[in-house]
Amino acid sequence: MSRIHDAIYNTFFKRNSAFVATCFAGAFAFQITFDLGTTAFWDYHNRGKQWKDLRAKYVQAGDSEEE
Amino acid sequence: MASSLSRVNLLPTTRTLASGVPLATKLNHAIPTGLAGGDHHGATGARSDVPKSWAFKSGVRGHLGKTNALPTSSSFQQRFISTSTPVSADTHHPMVGATGVRRTPATGVPDFSPYKAKNPGLNRTISYFMVGGLGVLGASGIKSTVSDILSNMAASADVLALAKIEVEMGAIPEGKNLIVKWRGKPVFIRHRTADEIDEANKVDVKHLRDPENDSDRVQRPEWLVMLGVCTHLGCVPIGEAGDYGGWFCPCHGSHYDISGRIRRGPAPLNLEIPEYQFNDDEEKIVIG
Repeated sequence: MSRIHDAIYNTFFKRNSAFVATCFAGAFAFQITFDLGTTAFWDYHNRGKQWKDLRAKYVQAGDSEEE
Repeated sequence: MASSLSRVNLLPTTRTLASGVPLATKLNHAIPTGLAGGDHHGATGARSDVPKSWAFKSGVRGHLGKTNALPTSSSFQQRFISTSTPVSADTHHPMVGATGVRRTPATGVPDFSPYKAKNPGLNRTISYFMVGGLGVLGASGIKSTVSDILSNMAASADVLALAKIEVEMGAIPEGKNLIVKWRGKPVFIRHRTADEIDEANKVDVKHLRDPENDSDRVQRPEWLVMLGVCTHLGCVPIGEAGDYGGWFCPCHGSHYDISGRIRRGPAPLNLEIPEYQFNDDEEKIVIG
């Protein structure tokens, strides 16, 4: 158990460069996952109300799209 | 007579309260100074827990000790003398189960060993993880703030929509110019003829002031789209004029050829090419 913690410490925390780089990479990943997660929740919460859900009802295939 | 005694009964001298504190009135439980510190190993000088000399009647030669052991407990209890190994007192403390704190009876110092970290590596990992987690959240917050501010300063969609103009290609016959206004500046659009394209390609660009091939200046050879601002001082050149069959700036006499390249006069550069693309579906040139 303590070997795992030592490995984590030596890999990520011991050098400041590795620590900061890990933080930035984590921030990058966190932003993506946070965006995807909140967007997915928003779509789920408003399912059936958004234009992308209703579009098929109003725009038939072959209709020229009004701009 | 003495041999007939098989059992010694002693009166109880103490009684233990529910809290574990021995009830012994007229007994001083105060520990002498320094005694709580341990065994004085390594300490230099006189022992600090020796009573001061003035506390004794030093003149007395002999010591007469007399102890009256009266029962201090109100209730009579039988007291046995046992030679078995005593169970250590700390495990018997009545508050051990409730608090988890064991008290060493001699000194009264609590035993904090239950609070000691069982795995120091886990503690260290958690501490650094918390610091790093704060860094992650802070970095993403700063990044979002900066990108929001920057996107706030960028042009919005309605401004971008106005920043583009569309010109119908069918409105310009071959060999004609059209001047449109785009972002406050004139834009020349020329529908070039095949002769003009040949003429623009024949020029040896190595001798030009701003050497540029005609193919680098147009997306389609028959359509020439340029900003109509003279690169000298910003006048608007006149089309189909000048010595080279292109544009001529009346302010200081710069001559541009049919590809908009500077050929003579004070202008340092060719006429600038804006960003544009062709919309073939609607036969339009979209500038911007």
